[in-house]
Amino acid sequence: MPDEVDVAREVVELAMRAGATQADASYTVSDRFSTEARAAEVVKLEQSVARGVTLRVFDRGAKATLSTSDLAPERLRAFVREAVDAARFVAADPHGGLPEPGGFAVDWPELATYAGDVRARPAEEKIADALTLEAVVRDTDSRIFNSSGSRIADATSTFALANSYGFAGSYRSSQVAASTAPIARDGDDKRPGSYGSAARSYAALEPIGSIARKAARKAVASIGARKPATMRCAVVFDRDVASLVLSDFFAAVNAANVAIGNSFLANRIGDRIGSDLATIVDDGRLPNGLGTSPFDSEGVATRRTVVVAGGVLQTFLYDTYYARRLGAASTGNASGGGIGPNNFYLLPGAGTVEALVASTASGVFVTDTIGFATESVTGTYSRGARGFLIENGELGRPIDGFTIAGNLVSMLGALDAVADDLVFDQGIVAPTIRIAEMTVSGT
Amino acid sequence: MRPDASTFERVLTRALGSGDYADAFYEYKVTRSFRLQDGRVHEGAIGVSCGVGIRVVSGERAGYAYSDDLSEGALLDTARVAALIATGGGARVESVHLPAGPEAAIGLYGDPEPLRLRAESATYVDFLARADVAGRAADSRIATVNATFAVELQDVAIATSDGRFVSDRRPLVTLGVQCVAAGKVRGTGFCGDGGRTSVDFFERRSPEDVAREAARIACVNSDAVETPAGEMEVVVGAGSGGVLLHEAVGHGLEGDFNRQGTSLYSGRVGERVASELVTIFDDGNLPGERGTVAVDDEGTPGEHKVLVERGVLRGYMQDRQNASLMGAHSTGSGRRQSFRFMPQPRMCNTYMPDGDSTYDEIVASVRRGIFATSFAGGQVEISKGDFVFMLAEGYLIENGKLTAPLRGASLIGNGPDAMNRVTMVGNDGRLAGRYYTCGKGGQYVPVGVGMPTVKLASVTVGGSGVAG
Repeated sequence: MPDEVDVAREVVELAMRAGATQADASYTVSDRFSTEARAAEVVKLEQSVARGVTLRVFDRGAKATLSTSDLAPERLRAFVREAVDAARFVAADPHGGLPEPGGFAVDWPELATYAGDVRARPAEEKIADALTLEAVVRDTDSRIFNSSGSRIADATSTFALANSYGFAGSYRSSQVAASTAPIARDGDDKRPGSYGSAARSYAALEPIGSIARKAARKAVASIGARKPATMRCAVVFDRDVASLVLSDFFAAVNAANVAIGNSFLANRIGDRIGSDLATIVDDGRLPNGLGTSPFDSEGVATRRTVVVAGGVLQTFLYDTYYARRLGAASTGNASGGGIGPNNFYLLPGAGTVEALVASTASGVFVTDTIGFATESVTGTYSRGARGFLIENGELGRPIDGFTIAGNLVSMLGALDAVADDLVFDQGIVAPTIRIAEMTVSGT
Repeated sequence: MRPDASTFERVLTRALGSGDYADAFYEYKVTRSFRLQDGRVHEGAIGVSCGVGIRVVSGERAGYAYSDDLSEGALLDTARVAALIATGGGARVESVHLPAGPEAAIGLYGDPEPLRLRAESATYVDFLARADVAGRAADSRIATVNATFAVELQDVAIATSDGRFVSDRRPLVTLGVQCVAAGKVRGTGFCGDGGRTSVDFFERRSPEDVAREAARIACVNSDAVETPAGEMEVVVGAGSGGVLLHEAVGHGLEGDFNRQGTSLYSGRVGERVASELVTIFDDGNLPGERGTVAVDDEGTPGEHKVLVERGVLRGYMQDRQNASLMGAHSTGSGRRQSFRFMPQPRMCNTYMPDGDSTYDEIVASVRRGIFATSFAGGQVEISKGDFVFMLAEGYLIENGKLTAPLRGASLIGNGPDAMNRVTMVGNDGRLAGRYYTCGKGGQYVPVGVGMPTVKLASVTVGGSGVAG
């Protein structure tokens, strides 16, 4: 079995022999496990090793890619030739090509992307975790009568990258996720709750009991929820939902969207785009972070980039191509053929969530959103939502069946409170936040 | 490449162990695509998905493992891992027998050899160039045209422990064009089309047509005003309005949710769940549509299913495992994203047949409300039935006439509640442009949707403009 890096190097050689002027290739081997429990039964058990090669070839700066799980030598060679041929149909591009040789990661500190306990833990114990999660969530409250299942999933991966400049590197990573989705009975109605958490290791994973209690509380707390009145008011996003808002914001600082006119932030570097509470960072080197890696998918060293500082837009996030196109330098955000976040987060504030709610005279506290309507061209934001009314600084009755709407620009400007509850349990994370005013549409 | 019958027999015999049932899904899928950005062909891409997934079912339990290595040794190992969940019971010594070769599914995809082999890349790049020129020429406000053309050919074979061995060869072509128009605001418009058919499709539906439609929507949206907020009458336009059926009803009728009792439609077959104007079909047999399956990913032929008939719930969409646990038959709804996933009960092409009203009558009946021409997508929460869908193009209706175009908003409703509020159904039903993809449990599959013009008595519209 050749070393993973050797596989990547061989694919680069195939591409160069087929006529590419530059090439890079990655080889990923991922060992995946998942199990699901429902009621007292293990209902799913999945275990596999996934292998894949991705290749980028350049010809006159024009790019073509190959992504394949068929590693049989003759067919791999044929598809590599086909990719080189496809690049001939792509327009020549002065900005296309590999990163400059000086930009590659050379060495890096220990980033704790891999934990040995993920492979070492026996499958029986992982199955027992899923069964425990399911049992605890059902026992937490008598009104919980069913569930969509409790799941434990993990993966360990090796990512190896090589290119025609001679760069070669690899790193290992691991990830564990636990989630559960109980359903509470509310007369004839069903009230779902769901919650999950992820980490680099079983040791660092949020305790099963805590995950179960949070999910159960979500389901039970929404019993009796009704539509609120249509109004303009303060909206508090709990940290899970605030993280989704930050994901929408990421699309607007993605340099690819900026370059093709799909971002409302084009030409706004140096401008105030949010309140002074808005400081947003992308950090590829955060130890233990789920978005951490020593180098991005082009081999460029990752780093910490302040994207918004005290409300002022500092930079977009770039890969090599869009950096060249927009006259900037890569920020180490190349990801799977596009631009992606490393650990992208909103800096936490000093106060607790309780204090934030207590300082809110009236408004809504949003715990879940559905839909995905944000347009990065205009920043228009609109989502279905669930949560609670806030009255006189206290959480009031549960509400659902409403939408919240606004615009990401005005929302960032109206960001007037940030809590201290930031947890790095996903690649994009935010603490609980309050937007001074948005439109709530109900009855 | 594809393992032969005797290999599958040995692999399935190993997999079955003490399970009730085992199957193997072989896939070889090649996707070729080009992307145009800012007037230039920006990227070419080839994707290859090759492997075998093996599943062992034992009552409610299912074990799954896959391998991208097609050697018999690797497949036997994979079978052993898949069977772990079914071990413990008394192992039956039972051999699986298959026909010597797979039976080819009856094609529903146009040409017997779906993809023309001549000068492929040149043809695809030419489609993109034509879309670009037509999009820019459509209106002086068009600032950007981005487009993608993709051709996929998926060869599958399904072998089962009860002796089924079938194959299917599925083409999928897709052209998607996005335009951005610079007007009062920057407006985006998207249009896509294609289907499970040959590239010849674009001789009938030209790339220019697709691009002009995207440009038209972008220009409309560049004049759009803020959508009002609150409950109001909503008319849902023919075609892509079918997203409403997909979200509000379709997902809730998938067999897994109903077997587990987690859907709000669980145990309600025969009950009234919608206005009697509402009939909903799901059909895997419509030639050339995105959601069409000659056989599903468990080897069951696609069916025409009556989900709701004049407001009464008639049945669920089933895969084999859920059908067997519920004492029903599989409706050819077992679908999966690739060999790396277990099948789930999924929709194919979901639509509503024509009613009696004309488009003009429906719009004229609304004093103040919203006309939702098309949707960018939707999402539903299965247990409570709350769904949202996102406006891609819409207008205010004032005194029975369409007036100002509206900027992107979500509409939120509850499945049965919304279906009970259907007060008019048009006679202008059609399927939407063929570019919808449905996500469930992390798996994405192509689907079709369709509907005539429909009026809903009251829906919560999630704009940012508060009236009065």
